[in-house]
Amino acid sequence: MVTNRIDHTWGMVVDLDRCTGCQACVVACQAENNLAINEKSAFLEKRALEWIRIERYWEGEYPNVKARFIPIMCQHCSNAPCEPVCPVFATYRNDGGLNVQVYNRCIGARYCINNCPYQVRFFNFWHPTWPASFENYLNPDVTVRTRGITEKCTFCVQRLRRGELEVERRAGGRLNDQNMAERNYMPACVQACPTNALTFGDHLDPDTKIRPYFDDVHAHDIHHEQERTTRSYLLLEELATAPNVIYLKKVEPYPIGENEHNG
Amino acid sequence: MKLTRRNFLAWAGLSAIGAVACDAFGDDLKTQSPVNQPEDLVKGRDNWYATLCRHCPSSEGVLVRVMEGRAKKVQGNPKYPINLGKQSARCDAGLQALYHPDRLAGPLLRINGTLQPVGWNIALDKLKEQLETRGEDLVLVTEPLSGPLGTIAGRFAQAFGGSHITFEALSNATYQAAVKNVFDQELLPDLDIGNANFLLSFGADFLSTWISPTRWSIGFGDLRDAEVGSGRGTFVQIDPRFSMTAANADKWLPIKPGMEGHLALSLAHVIVQEKLQADDVDLQALTGGQEAGFLADFSPESIGPKLGWPEAMLGGRSAAESIRELARDFASHRPSLAIGGDSAGAQKNGLFNLEAIYALNYLVGSVGATGGLRFNPKSPLPEWPQPPVVAALAQWQQVVSALNEGKTKLLLVHQADPVYGLPQAVGLEDAIKRTDVFTVSFSPFLDETSALADLILPDRIYLEDWGADTPNPGPGFQVVGIQQPVVNPLSSLDPRSFGDILLSTAQELREDARLPWNNLLEALEESSNALFALDRGSIDAGSEKEFWTKLLRQGGWWDEKTTGPAVKPTEGLYSQIAKGASEPAALGSSEFYLIPFAHNTLLDGRNTHLPWAQSAPDPITTVTWQTWVEVNARRASDMGWREGDVIRIEANGSFIQALLYPNPALPPDVVAVPMGQGRRNGPGYAVGGEERESSNILSILDAALVNETGALAWAGNRVRLAPTGESLRVSKFEGEYAAREIGNQIINNPGEEIIKTVAPGGH
Ligand code: SF4
Ligand code: SF4
Repeated sequence: MVTNRIDHTWGMVVDLDRCTGCQACVVACQAENNLAINEKSAFLEKRALEWIRIERYWEGEYPNVKARFIPIMCQHCSNAPCEPVCPVFATYRNDGGLNVQVYNRCIGARYCINNCPYQVRFFNFWHPTWPASFENYLNPDVTVRTRGITEKCTFCVQRLRRGELEVERRAGGRLNDQNMAERNYMPACVQACPTNALTFGDHLDPDTKIRPYFDDVHAHDIHHEQERTTRSYLLLEELATAPNVIYLKKVEPYPIGENEHNG
Repeated sequence: MKLTRRNFLAWAGLSAIGAVACDAFGDDLKTQSPVNQPEDLVKGRDNWYATLCRHCPSSEGVLVRVMEGRAKKVQGNPKYPINLGKQSARCDAGLQALYHPDRLAGPLLRINGTLQPVGWNIALDKLKEQLETRGEDLVLVTEPLSGPLGTIAGRFAQAFGGSHITFEALSNATYQAAVKNVFDQELLPDLDIGNANFLLSFGADFLSTWISPTRWSIGFGDLRDAEVGSGRGTFVQIDPRFSMTAANADKWLPIKPGMEGHLALSLAHVIVQEKLQADDVDLQALTGGQEAGFLADFSPESIGPKLGWPEAMLGGRSAAESIRELARDFASHRPSLAIGGDSAGAQKNGLFNLEAIYALNYLVGSVGATGGLRFNPKSPLPEWPQPPVVAALAQWQQVVSALNEGKTKLLLVHQADPVYGLPQAVGLEDAIKRTDVFTVSFSPFLDETSALADLILPDRIYLEDWGADTPNPGPGFQVVGIQQPVVNPLSSLDPRSFGDILLSTAQELREDARLPWNNLLEALEESSNALFALDRGSIDAGSEKEFWTKLLRQGGWWDEKTTGPAVKPTEGLYSQIAKGASEPAALGSSEFYLIPFAHNTLLDGRNTHLPWAQSAPDPITTVTWQTWVEVNARRASDMGWREGDVIRIEANGSFIQALLYPNPALPPDVVAVPMGQGRRNGPGYAVGGEERESSNILSILDAALVNETGALAWAGNRVRLAPTGESLRVSKFEGEYAAREIGNQIINNPGEEIIKTVAPGGH
């Protein structure tokens, strides 16, 4: 039984105008969450595990060309396609708005992986191994997933739990943008991101930085997308998965094809 | 104090930084079964220690999470003024250096031609014997050191009649010289990118690897922030290569390598001709009173056609008109900032290029101003060497001759791999192999240099050792960063601190008055006391001891009230600069310009043994673990070359092989190759690739020098490419999510983009 729980609904905002594709978030996530090392073979087999990944898209070709980057992680959908297909209820939406994966329930059916339109769920086809000395750096707060288990971004639930324990139950406060940043309870990717492209918070909290974006998206669903007052959009919004990750459109002063501005 | 495990732990408890959870066991959790609340299970007690990261040329402040004596996570120290709580992918990977399975466990001595383990007593006796018998004219090579270790290394080398030089494959000596010539400053300036409204960058891959990338990335985030400075700033990158930084520019303009300085002078010409300069600019000084015909040789009409700007990019206008527009944009969207580095400074005319680029800041009033360049005050600790000047290639050529002539007989190497990083043409490898040269390496890992050494004395990893640093560039005020051991080495390892070895050896042999400290810690404590005596800055303490403790907790000391000097142009600066102008030679038929570049995570090769650095996809190509060569996609397909074809890259009579990556953005006459792979000696993860897919581009570079600075002109090479007929699969991340990776369009919903864009001000 969980005592004195304060309600939160966690969410993230990703500003595509800031993301540089630097990979700091990707490596920070791997370090925090005990991801198996992606050896060369993992890439050749197209089975590299990255809970957060940077997709790179080309637009145009030399000399009128752009490359754009987008970080993609579990979207923590409120209406998650992965959840109803799990035969053993290993994945469900918890009361903090997280889409959680219970590893010791997972039987490896992989229906969830199949049903996730964002392709952010990963199957452990092998038992992850590390050289014995590397085991020293494994994070004791995070389960190492065995062969046959599905895994994915957790919004760094272990950091949120430490925060809830320290700030809310022991000190009687409430987790907010400031104390989470100061005391290291922000998800590892958010903490690392040098351009502050990633912002995380509790959108039940009226003062959180992410709140205006969630308000905007909630007030103007896909049918009223044109009326939004911020750069917010949702990934594959037409699928109505109700993600808890919002993307902010990239600002483009010189779009390809309008090269009267060039030079 | 000798650092035993026991007093280390006692001390560690004392210096646990305050900002973090120390007692994580909630009473309500202690007695409950985890079965009831698996997702609430939080166990163990963690401490976070502040120290410095050493995986980049710029040292960044980090916090390390330690549980039960093991380091668990490295991340940015929010208080440290350089990186403000942020980090690069390289910092995280430090854990894999610390716990690398192939760390050298103890000293190795070459006996009958092979390196064999010996005890520390034998090893240190050998070191002393060599210093006594052949120490004269020794050469001590280290990474650039600005803390007490720099002082110690310098004095140690002197004590034995030798010299201390620093090594970095991509030296910033030319940048440093440009800053000296244009601004009369020894220290590099801070770049206030965040407050700029127009950023013009020439060649510098500043979001990835150039100088202080984490700091510049934070600034870039602010540049994009509508709420910071004068709204969302515009960023234009001029670069022969489509780098990650170029990809993040609002506009990327390719340029013929070596023409950057000419373009910069042409922009200056337009600004002065059209009177676009900032109000309080001292044109008299800049132009030497020659305003009328100012830089007449660099008019857009004469420079424009030489830049290699393709017509398809210019949209029907002339290159000259495009230069004028760029000059107007740059001059009218103030604060504007012009920066340059990497390939722009690594041509034979690199010094000229950088001088011409940085001088633009005078014209727009960005020297010492918000949104411009901020100069740095001198270090508060005059004893420490600052700035660490990286040895130019010319100096290396002297070292090699001294070795070959039998003048230098002892070479000591710490945290540097010059055999890997210098062009083969310099001949260092053969010089080291001479029987009359004794080489001592302090590397904790095998690398190309230590594999040739006669004696290896493995150093501690930075997370296990003391140290300090005055960052160069600083953030515009005085900063001293402190590095402390956050864990002890594993019991299976017996490394020793390089600084401690130098000090104890010097004392035993010379009792040198200039090296009075018993160990590095003593030297640091002395510096701490000197800072305490200043009685200012970020630490408020009543005693030396309290100051020291707080210093360790914060990860350093800084004084935000200090400022750098005011900087004024010297009379006739522009005519001085223009005198250095020279154009690059024309490209031969079937030649390509070769632009090598520092890898986003492996850098110049120093991180190849870290699997997180190896497996982090290159931002542009997404390639991992391999060496690739980027060729314009259309040109490659015209030649019938396909991704993964093994290409022979030939320069200056030698060659390497790499896998083809067709890049739709690269100019057709440029090829780009990352540094970093191709290690033949070293720990796991660094070695193992076949020569076809893992090679060292640095090895085939011409040993050509940048005029006046003598640094390696690493971006001035021309190469020929030839397919070998073989092909390998490229180990890349791209394509793993093929379902949606088709031209940024959603598969079942054509016209709907994954990455949506909007015009400025829109939503
Ligand atoms: S929130 Fe945590 S688990 Fe999710 S992508 Fe970020 S670092 Fe990884
Ligand atoms: S750390 Fe930030 S800027 Fe870098 S790739 Fe991740 S989201 Fe983008």
